[in-house]
Amino acid sequence: MTEDQMDVALQAIRGRVSRREFLRRAALLSMSAPAALALLERPRAAEAAGKVVNLAGYGGVSNDAIRKAWADPFEQKTGIKVNLGANASLALAKLQAQSGNPQWDIVGLDGSELPTAVKQGLLERIDTSKVDMSKVPGYLKTPYGFKYSVYLFTKAYDQRKIPDSSAPQNWKDFWDTGRYPMKRSIYQNVADGSILEAALMADGVPVSNVYPLDVERALKSLDRLGKANVIWHSANQQPIQQLTSGEVALATAFSGRVIVARRDGAHLQYTLDQDVASGSYFPVVKGSPNKEAAFAFLNFVATNDVAAATYMSILTYATGNASAVRLLPQEVADQLPTSPKLKGKILFKDDAWWADNLEKTVIRFKEWQAA
Amino acid sequence: MAGRLIGRVPARAALARTLLLLPLCVVYGVLLVWPLGLLVRSSLDGGFAAYAEVVRNPLFRPAMMSTLVISVVTTAIAVVLGYVCAAAIWRAPPVLRPLAVAFVLLPFWTAVLVKNFAWAALLQDHGVFTAALRALGVPGHPVLLHNRFAVIVGMVHYVLPYAVLPIFAAMVSLDARLEQAAASLGASQAAAVRLVIVPLTLPGVYAAALLVFIICTGFFITPVILGGPRDMMAANLVDFYARQLVDFRAASALAVMIIAGVSLLVSVYQWLPKEGQFGRL
Repeated sequence: MTEDQMDVALQAIRGRVSRREFLRRAALLSMSAPAALALLERPRAAEAAGKVVNLAGYGGVSNDAIRKAWADPFEQKTGIKVNLGANASLALAKLQAQSGNPQWDIVGLDGSELPTAVKQGLLERIDTSKVDMSKVPGYLKTPYGFKYSVYLFTKAYDQRKIPDSSAPQNWKDFWDTGRYPMKRSIYQNVADGSILEAALMADGVPVSNVYPLDVERALKSLDRLGKANVIWHSANQQPIQQLTSGEVALATAFSGRVIVARRDGAHLQYTLDQDVASGSYFPVVKGSPNKEAAFAFLNFVATNDVAAATYMSILTYATGNASAVRLLPQEVADQLPTSPKLKGKILFKDDAWWADNLEKTVIRFKEWQAA
Repeated sequence: MAGRLIGRVPARAALARTLLLLPLCVVYGVLLVWPLGLLVRSSLDGGFAAYAEVVRNPLFRPAMMSTLVISVVTTAIAVVLGYVCAAAIWRAPPVLRPLAVAFVLLPFWTAVLVKNFAWAALLQDHGVFTAALRALGVPGHPVLLHNRFAVIVGMVHYVLPYAVLPIFAAMVSLDARLEQAAASLGASQAAAVRLVIVPLTLPGVYAAALLVFIICTGFFITPVILGGPRDMMAANLVDFYARQLVDFRAASALAVMIIAGVSLLVSVYQWLPKEGQFGRL
């Protein structure tokens, strides 16, 4: 299911959309049919006249931030139109690359997915004469792109039920069912999210020793938390909905979603210790007909400081263009996953480990879930 | 069969008749056989390795088991409810009949997502049903959503029209005089139902059961919305291969296996007795 479908449905369940409005929207959405078909969706008619870049992202507030910080100013500056879509995934990248005539030029991939896409030959190498990556620190770039976004997998809570003074400060607290005798909403995508890493830290593994992941130990730790105490979620906006509606008081979430919800008046907060930082790329799909325009867009993302600062201040996510950090207020800069102040306190997701162990870990986790 | 009843046809007429079937063959060929061929080809890329991989996957057995259990239970409930519902429509006064049929067709034309999310709203913790159970004094915190119960409720709701319509069709084709004949031979109402009506509507029941079961085995979105991790069905495993593991070859192999299984069922159905009121067809 797409994020938009999930959003509409969740809002309706929480009673925030009138019944008639829900039925209207649901009828519209159901016509667009389930996730499998969404993979075949095409971007709005590629403008024949002007140049264009079609970019598949994750949808929701994530796309809103990309639109505001990069897509709009880039369109104004260059006249190249940027079409944003949702449902970015490795499967979409593969379908696009195999089709030989990709409809999406850029498909967002996270750190654990990029190496697989490279291995399978789905991506274009970045032409460094067209994309200036000199502002991007080495650990955020590869020959196939740089991380446009670095975010935190965090412990979010409902301030109406859990006051800041007794908030979970680390994963051991998050696991404490005596102190928080309620259900937790947890992201079930172990590669995109980081619940296995969190489970190890809850079991006492220090940040520096989490990798290589001891998957069995992580699952035992999750057993201790107890499946009965967990509601699994699969879309990134779901935990925010569940927290604001009061369905749960504790959830894993990506930090930017909490920050945007707070700005909209929600009584949510998160704590930083032991959070897991991971990131996403804007890789160019092999055979993209708009490769040059895509590189121009990537160059804008990598070099334009004002745009990068706008992105970082909307979501409090870091971006590859590190030189833009100086444009940010200190308190925002200190909360970025890449801030030197967080060094040692948070964990950086090990993309290389995940690339090597993705398939068997994902299957093992699913098997544990179904047992 | 039809040919035998009508008797021998001149060769030219037979040819013309075959030609009339051509558009149908083209439609089936382009929309069904060709994509199916692509699917089989993609699954056989590298011999039978993908099949071995799928069968070895520890998720294969649980997914197949839950598909089987959920489908059998859903089919059983849907056929029983469908029979009662069809009988009610059949016996409804002529004025009420269109209304009763409308109640069957309205959910039939409603999108599955709408129906599933409606159930999710009704069954959620702190929802209408849990509140009602609490009000009735049921102890503890009954959990109605994200489990097999919710999946079966959602699926029965979806497949019920598919059960009602074939059974109803079998009922309306019954000769009303058969019941009078049973009564004139001394059968009570209950005996007439047991000895005449039920046996004669059985072909409709078989057709309904098969249709419902086949639809059940292909469910995808209902286990996602209403079920928990333990309710992963075959189609969800195909999706898991395609989207999480990005292994299109294994996804194709699994899909071919599901289609083969269902085709086997359909051929078994051909052997079932189709005895209606007019004797063996």
